[in-house]
Amino acid sequence: MFKELDPILHSQLRLAVMSLLIGVKEADFTFIREKTNSTAGNLSVQVQKLKDAGYIDVVKQFKDNYPQTTCKVTPEGILAFENYVKALQEYLKVGN
Amino acid sequence: MDQQNELSAHSSLALIESMINKAQNQFSENGTLYLVWGWVVSICSLGQYLLLKLNMTNFKQSGFIWLMTIPVMIYQIFFLIQKKKTEKVKTYTDEIIGYVWMTFGICMGLFSYIMAMLQIWNLFYPFIFLFYGIPTFLSGAIMRFKPLMVGGIICWVLSLVSVQIHSIEVILLLIPAVLFGWIIPGYLLRARFKSA
Repeated sequence: MFKELDPILHSQLRLAVMSLLIGVKEADFTFIREKTNSTAGNLSVQVQKLKDAGYIDVVKQFKDNYPQTTCKVTPEGILAFENYVKALQEYLKVGN
Repeated sequence: MDQQNELSAHSSLALIESMINKAQNQFSENGTLYLVWGWVVSICSLGQYLLLKLNMTNFKQSGFIWLMTIPVMIYQIFFLIQKKKTEKVKTYTDEIIGYVWMTFGICMGLFSYIMAMLQIWNLFYPFIFLFYGIPTFLSGAIMRFKPLMVGGIICWVLSLVSVQIHSIEVILLLIPAVLFGWIIPGYLLRARFKSA
Protein backbone atom coordinates (compact mmCIF):
# COMPACT_ATOMS: atom_id res chain seq x y z
CA MET A 1 0.00 0.00 0.00
CA PHE A 2 2.79 2.44 0.95
CA LYS A 3 5.98 3.05 -0.91
CA GLU A 4 8.92 1.91 1.18
CA LEU A 5 10.95 4.86 2.47
CA ASP A 6 14.47 4.65 1.06
CA PRO A 7 16.59 3.46 4.03
CA ILE A 8 19.63 5.33 2.69
CA LEU A 9 17.75 8.64 2.88
CA HIS A 10 15.63 7.84 5.92
CA SER A 11 18.36 8.83 8.35
CA GLN A 12 18.63 12.30 9.86
CA LEU A 13 22.17 13.23 8.85
CA ARG A 14 22.10 11.60 5.40
CA LEU A 15 18.78 13.32 4.64
CA ALA A 16 20.22 16.64 5.86
CA VAL A 17 23.26 16.24 3.57
CA MET A 18 21.08 15.37 0.57
CA SER A 19 18.66 18.26 1.26
CA LEU A 20 21.60 20.66 1.45
CA LEU A 21 23.25 19.36 -1.72
CA ILE A 22 20.01 19.24 -3.74
CA GLY A 23 19.87 23.07 -3.82
CA VAL A 24 23.50 23.78 -4.70
CA LYS A 25 25.89 22.83 -7.48
CA GLU A 26 28.54 21.45 -5.14
CA ALA A 27 29.65 21.97 -1.56
CA ASP A 28 32.79 21.59 0.48
CA PHE A 29 32.87 19.00 3.29
CA THR A 30 33.45 21.77 5.87
CA PHE A 31 30.40 23.69 4.59
CA ILE A 32 28.20 20.59 5.00
CA ARG A 33 29.63 19.97 8.48
CA GLU A 34 28.88 23.56 9.57
CA LYS A 35 25.32 23.55 8.20
CA THR A 36 24.40 20.12 9.58
CA ASN A 37 26.10 20.70 12.96
CA SER A 38 27.70 17.27 12.72
CA THR A 39 31.08 15.88 13.68
CA ALA A 40 33.66 15.22 10.99
CA GLY A 41 33.79 11.51 11.85
CA ASN A 42 30.05 10.90 11.67
CA LEU A 43 29.64 13.03 8.55
CA SER A 44 32.48 11.20 6.86
CA VAL A 45 30.77 7.81 7.45
CA GLN A 46 27.38 9.08 6.18
CA VAL A 47 28.91 10.75 3.12
CA GLN A 48 30.63 7.47 2.28
CA LYS A 49 27.25 5.62 2.51
CA LEU A 50 25.63 8.16 0.16
CA LYS A 51 28.57 7.80 -2.19
CA ASP A 52 28.35 3.97 -2.12
CA ALA A 53 24.63 4.23 -2.96
CA GLY A 54 25.56 6.38 -5.98
CA TYR A 55 23.59 9.37 -4.67
CA ILE A 56 26.54 11.76 -4.46
CA ASP A 57 29.92 12.23 -6.12
CA VAL A 58 32.83 12.92 -3.80
CA VAL A 59 36.00 14.53 -5.13
CA LYS A 60 39.08 14.66 -2.94
CA GLN A 61 41.83 17.03 -4.01
CA PHE A 62 44.48 19.37 -2.71
CA LYS A 63 43.91 23.12 -2.78
CA ASP A 64 46.86 25.29 -1.71
CA ASN A 65 48.45 22.26 -0.01
CA TYR A 66 45.31 21.55 2.05
CA PRO A 67 43.08 18.53 1.43
CA GLN A 68 39.64 19.44 0.17
CA THR A 69 36.60 17.21 -0.22
CA THR A 70 33.81 18.36 -2.50
CA CYS A 71 30.40 16.71 -2.67
CA LYS A 72 27.87 16.91 -5.46
CA VAL A 73 24.50 15.22 -5.87
CA THR A 74 24.21 12.81 -8.84
CA PRO A 75 21.18 12.36 -11.17
CA GLU A 76 20.47 9.06 -9.31
CA GLY A 77 20.56 11.03 -6.06
CA ILE A 78 18.08 13.59 -7.37
CA LEU A 79 15.72 10.79 -8.48
CA ALA A 80 16.02 9.00 -5.12
CA PHE A 81 15.38 12.28 -3.28
CA GLU A 82 12.29 13.00 -5.39
CA ASN A 83 10.94 9.49 -4.78
CA TYR A 84 11.62 9.86 -1.06
CA VAL A 85 9.68 13.16 -0.90
CA LYS A 86 6.80 11.60 -2.88
CA ALA A 87 6.70 8.66 -0.45
CA LEU A 88 6.64 11.09 2.49
CA GLN A 89 3.73 12.94 0.89
CA GLU A 90 1.84 9.63 0.58
CA TYR A 91 2.28 9.01 4.30
CA LEU A 92 1.11 12.54 5.12
CA LYS A 93 -1.97 12.24 2.90
CA VAL A 94 -3.04 9.10 4.75
CA GLY A 95 -2.26 10.73 8.09
CA ASN A 96 -4.52 13.68 7.31
CA MET B 1 3.34 1.93 13.25
CA ASP B 2 1.36 4.33 11.07
CA GLN B 3 1.54 7.00 13.78
CA GLN B 4 5.31 6.52 13.94
CA ASN B 5 5.62 6.85 10.15
CA GLU B 6 3.48 9.98 10.18
CA LEU B 7 5.65 11.65 12.82
CA SER B 8 8.71 10.60 10.98
CA ALA B 9 7.30 11.97 7.72
CA HIS B 10 6.62 15.34 9.37
CA SER B 11 10.05 15.58 10.94
CA SER B 12 11.71 14.46 7.69
CA LEU B 13 9.92 17.16 5.71
CA ALA B 14 10.82 19.75 8.36
CA LEU B 15 14.46 18.71 8.12
CA ILE B 16 14.41 18.91 4.31
CA GLU B 17 12.83 22.37 4.45
CA SER B 18 15.32 23.69 7.00
CA MET B 19 18.33 22.41 5.01
CA ILE B 20 17.03 23.82 1.72
CA ASN B 21 16.54 27.18 3.46
CA LYS B 22 20.09 27.05 4.81
CA ALA B 23 21.41 26.47 1.29
CA GLN B 24 19.22 29.24 -0.17
CA ASN B 25 20.28 31.79 2.44
CA GLN B 26 23.89 31.35 1.47
CA PHE B 27 24.89 34.86 0.33
CA SER B 28 28.21 34.83 -1.45
CA GLU B 29 27.76 38.26 -3.01
CA ASN B 30 29.41 40.93 -0.87
CA GLY B 31 28.98 43.74 -3.41
CA THR B 32 32.72 44.41 -3.92
CA LEU B 33 32.71 44.34 -7.72
CA TYR B 34 29.51 46.42 -7.93
CA LEU B 35 31.20 49.08 -5.76
CA VAL B 36 34.56 49.00 -7.56
CA TRP B 37 32.98 49.28 -11.00
CA GLY B 38 30.41 51.82 -9.80
CA TRP B 39 33.06 54.18 -8.46
CA VAL B 40 35.43 53.74 -11.41
CA VAL B 41 32.72 54.44 -13.98
CA SER B 42 31.60 57.49 -11.94
CA ILE B 43 35.16 58.88 -11.74
CA CYS B 44 35.85 58.21 -15.45
CA SER B 45 32.62 59.81 -16.63
CA LEU B 46 33.06 62.87 -14.40
CA GLY B 47 36.71 63.11 -15.50
CA GLN B 48 35.80 62.86 -19.18
CA TYR B 49 33.10 65.49 -18.79
CA LEU B 50 35.48 67.91 -17.02
CA LEU B 51 38.20 67.38 -19.66
CA LEU B 52 35.70 68.31 -22.39
CA LYS B 53 33.98 71.10 -20.46
CA LEU B 54 37.28 72.80 -19.64
CA ASN B 55 38.42 72.36 -23.27
CA MET B 56 41.48 70.43 -22.16
CA THR B 57 41.14 67.71 -24.82
CA ASN B 58 39.03 66.82 -27.84
CA PHE B 59 36.39 64.09 -27.60
CA LYS B 60 38.65 61.33 -28.90
CA GLN B 61 41.49 62.16 -26.49
CA SER B 62 39.10 62.44 -23.54
CA GLY B 63 38.13 58.82 -24.09
CA PHE B 64 41.58 57.71 -22.93
CA ILE B 65 40.44 58.33 -19.34
CA TRP B 66 38.55 55.03 -19.67
CA LEU B 67 41.91 53.23 -19.73
CA MET B 68 41.55 53.51 -15.94
CA THR B 69 39.24 50.51 -16.22
CA ILE B 70 42.14 48.22 -17.29
CA PRO B 71 43.65 47.97 -13.75
CA VAL B 72 40.12 47.31 -12.49
CA MET B 73 39.74 44.43 -14.95
CA ILE B 74 43.07 42.99 -13.71
CA TYR B 75 41.91 43.42 -10.10
CA GLN B 76 38.65 41.69 -10.99
CA ILE B 77 40.48 38.65 -12.40
CA PHE B 78 42.55 38.30 -9.19
CA PHE B 79 39.45 38.91 -7.05
CA LEU B 80 37.46 36.18 -8.80
CA ILE B 81 40.37 33.69 -8.65
CA GLN B 82 40.73 34.35 -4.92
CA LYS B 83 36.97 34.03 -4.38
CA LYS B 84 36.92 30.70 -6.23
CA LYS B 85 39.76 29.43 -4.04
CA THR B 86 38.07 30.30 -0.76
CA GLU B 87 34.40 29.54 -1.52
CA LYS B 88 32.98 26.54 0.31
CA VAL B 89 29.89 26.14 -1.81
CA LYS B 90 28.98 26.67 -5.44
CA THR B 91 25.37 27.59 -6.03
CA TYR B 92 23.46 27.56 -9.31
CA THR B 93 22.50 31.17 -8.58
CA ASP B 94 26.15 32.27 -8.54
CA GLU B 95 26.85 30.33 -11.71
CA ILE B 96 23.93 31.84 -13.64
CA ILE B 97 24.76 35.37 -12.43
CA GLY B 98 28.36 34.80 -13.53
CA TYR B 99 27.15 33.91 -17.05
CA VAL B 100 24.83 36.96 -17.10
CA TRP B 101 27.76 39.31 -16.38
CA MET B 102 30.01 37.45 -18.81
CA THR B 103 27.35 38.02 -21.50
CA PHE B 104 27.28 41.71 -20.54
CA GLY B 105 31.07 42.00 -20.75
CA ILE B 106 31.16 40.32 -24.18
CA CYS B 107 28.29 42.48 -25.49
CA MET B 108 29.92 45.68 -24.18
CA GLY B 109 33.21 44.75 -25.85
CA LEU B 110 31.51 43.93 -29.17
CA PHE B 111 29.30 47.01 -28.97
CA SER B 112 32.27 49.33 -28.31
CA TYR B 113 34.09 47.84 -31.31
CA ILE B 114 31.01 48.14 -33.56
CA MET B 115 30.47 51.77 -32.50
CA ALA B 116 34.14 52.58 -33.11
CA MET B 117 33.91 51.03 -36.60
CA LEU B 118 30.57 52.59 -37.60
CA GLN B 119 31.13 55.92 -35.84
CA ILE B 120 27.44 56.25 -34.89
CA TRP B 121 28.11 57.94 -31.57
CA ASN B 122 24.58 59.27 -31.01
CA LEU B 123 23.52 55.66 -30.40
CA PHE B 124 26.35 55.03 -27.94
CA TYR B 125 24.87 56.29 -24.66
CA PRO B 126 21.27 55.05 -25.11
CA PHE B 127 22.63 51.57 -25.80
CA ILE B 128 25.16 51.74 -22.94
CA PHE B 129 22.32 52.42 -20.47
CA LEU B 130 20.22 49.73 -22.10
CA PHE B 131 23.07 47.22 -21.65
CA TYR B 132 23.77 48.35 -18.05
CA GLY B 133 20.16 47.66 -17.16
CA ILE B 134 20.10 44.06 -18.43
CA PRO B 135 22.61 42.30 -16.09
CA THR B 136 21.67 44.61 -13.21
CA PHE B 137 17.96 43.77 -13.43
CA LEU B 138 18.57 40.05 -14.09
CA SER B 139 21.04 39.72 -11.17
CA GLY B 140 18.46 41.34 -8.90
CA ALA B 141 15.74 39.00 -10.16
CA ILE B 142 17.92 35.88 -9.74
CA MET B 143 19.12 36.93 -6.27
CA ARG B 144 15.63 38.21 -5.34
CA PHE B 145 17.29 41.51 -4.45
CA LYS B 146 14.98 44.40 -5.33
CA PRO B 147 17.51 47.29 -5.17
CA LEU B 148 19.33 45.78 -8.18
CA MET B 149 16.06 45.34 -10.08
CA VAL B 150 15.15 48.99 -9.39
CA GLY B 151 18.68 49.98 -10.46
CA GLY B 152 18.21 48.12 -13.74
CA ILE B 153 14.91 49.88 -14.40
CA ILE B 154 16.54 53.27 -13.67
CA CYS B 155 19.24 52.45 -16.26
CA TRP B 156 16.52 51.79 -18.85
CA VAL B 157 14.77 55.08 -17.98
CA LEU B 158 18.12 56.86 -18.38
CA SER B 159 18.44 55.18 -21.77
CA LEU B 160 15.25 56.99 -22.84
CA VAL B 161 16.39 60.26 -21.23
CA SER B 162 19.77 60.10 -23.00
CA VAL B 163 18.04 60.20 -26.40
CA GLN B 164 16.79 63.70 -25.52
CA ILE B 165 20.21 65.08 -24.54
CA HIS B 166 22.32 66.23 -27.47
CA SER B 167 25.23 67.76 -25.53
CA ILE B 168 28.26 66.40 -23.67
CA GLU B 169 26.13 66.47 -20.49
CA VAL B 170 24.89 63.03 -21.60
CA ILE B 171 28.16 61.64 -20.18
CA LEU B 172 27.03 62.72 -16.71
CA LEU B 173 24.02 60.41 -16.94
CA LEU B 174 26.46 57.56 -16.33
CA ILE B 175 26.79 58.75 -12.72
CA PRO B 176 23.11 58.22 -11.70
CA ALA B 177 23.11 55.00 -13.77
CA VAL B 178 25.95 53.45 -11.76
CA LEU B 179 24.86 55.13 -8.52
CA PHE B 180 21.41 53.51 -8.60
CA GLY B 181 22.45 50.43 -10.57
CA TRP B 182 25.64 49.41 -8.80
CA ILE B 183 26.84 51.69 -5.96
CA ILE B 184 23.71 51.80 -3.76
CA PRO B 185 22.88 48.08 -4.35
CA GLY B 186 26.60 47.32 -3.76
CA TYR B 187 26.54 48.90 -0.30
CA LEU B 188 23.23 47.18 0.50
CA LEU B 189 24.67 43.82 -0.63
CA ARG B 190 27.71 44.42 1.56
CA ALA B 191 25.45 45.15 4.56
CA ARG B 192 23.39 42.00 3.86
CA PHE B 193 26.55 39.89 3.52
CA LYS B 194 27.94 41.17 6.83
CA SER B 195 24.70 40.57 8.69
CA ALA B 196 24.21 37.03 7.25
